[in-house]
Amino acid sequence: MVALTMALAAVVMAGDPPLRPVADPRPILQDLQRKMSSFDSVYLEFTQERDLKLFAEPLRSEGVMLIGRPDQIRWETTGPFQSILLGDHQSVAQFERTDGVWKKLKLGFPQMLRRVMQQMVQMNQGKLDALTSDYTISVATGSLAVVTLVPKDETVRAMLSSIEVKMLPDFSATREVVMNEPSGEFTRIIFRREMRGVKFPPGTFDQTTPRDIAAVKADFGNAP
Amino acid sequence: MHRNFLVLLLVWFAAGCVTPPPPVNAPRPVASFQPDGLVTQRAVLTARGRQFALNGYLAQSATGGRRLILTEVFGHVVADVLVKPDGTVHVMRSSRLFHPAWIERYVAADMQCIFGGAPDAACPVQMLSATHFVVERRWYKLDLQIVETQPGPQPTELFDEAQKAKL
Repeated sequence: MVALTMALAAVVMAGDPPLRPVADPRPILQDLQRKMSSFDSVYLEFTQERDLKLFAEPLRSEGVMLIGRPDQIRWETTGPFQSILLGDHQSVAQFERTDGVWKKLKLGFPQMLRRVMQQMVQMNQGKLDALTSDYTISVATGSLAVVTLVPKDETVRAMLSSIEVKMLPDFSATREVVMNEPSGEFTRIIFRREMRGVKFPPGTFDQTTPRDIAAVKADFGNAP
Repeated sequence: MHRNFLVLLLVWFAAGCVTPPPPVNAPRPVASFQPDGLVTQRAVLTARGRQFALNGYLAQSATGGRRLILTEVFGHVVADVLVKPDGTVHVMRSSRLFHPAWIERYVAADMQCIFGGAPDAACPVQMLSATHFVVERRWYKLDLQIVETQPGPQPTELFDEAQKAKL
């Protein structure tokens, strides 16, 4: 009884209605895809928090994610180190900044990385039906809309128990993505400054000489 | 596809584990680090012409030892090792990417070479700057940069090998 009272008090204090699982998520997923498909591009800034049980504080990094149609993605970490991942349906490239110079890596097994990058594009474009072969997808709604993807492959599930994509209820912005592991540890990517329908300058997704991110941001008027 | 990829990596790294390290005559590092603190690193591992970016988180304790956790691009832990002050090595977590023998033989050794304070002559490490190190063995090269250092005591559980059971 005490526990129930405390739980109710916590809900009231939080002010947010609890999440409710949706029995048939298909209409919501279709709505999500319809809304997301109306945008040619998206720009997001993120903080990535790696939560490891033994550390008192999560391990943080900062960066930006840019997605352009049809399937281009740029995932750039800006601190505490600098790294760029670029991908499309054909290829993937990674650059690391060492002593002030960008160096392109000779990636090992790039097809794996390309696949992960493409799944990130599909999630952000609301193309969740494309992911149903790899994931079991469910939806819960409330103060946020939460799409949960559980890997179907047992081997993958041994490393990644689920991915939660948390969005505003009207799908107007992605709040965070949480990658849960069987151990209870997780990686949380918190998004902010989401901008949809921006026009990226040439070179933004170039896998040979990517345009500097400061120049990209300045070009679409998002300079800090 | 995932399974094939992981199996390939496993075979690849396992092959490397049986290769003995080469004789070494490289310059040895002289860097010094806070006895207590957390050191964040970014590294590129090159093996057989292919490269992998890794994050490293090294917790140091003057009394407890050193604990290094390696993660891949999206944060998954691929190696986790504790080296006690007496030099004993405890592999706390391994992965298909880094299996236990490889972590014990190479990850722990390279960590001690760079952060050990008094590296022995078998350390194939070059110190390019106070924050930039290169470890080069016959079959792999590790280019490591220290990107962040947070001084201060770390949780004691990090240095307790018995915690392995709880991971």
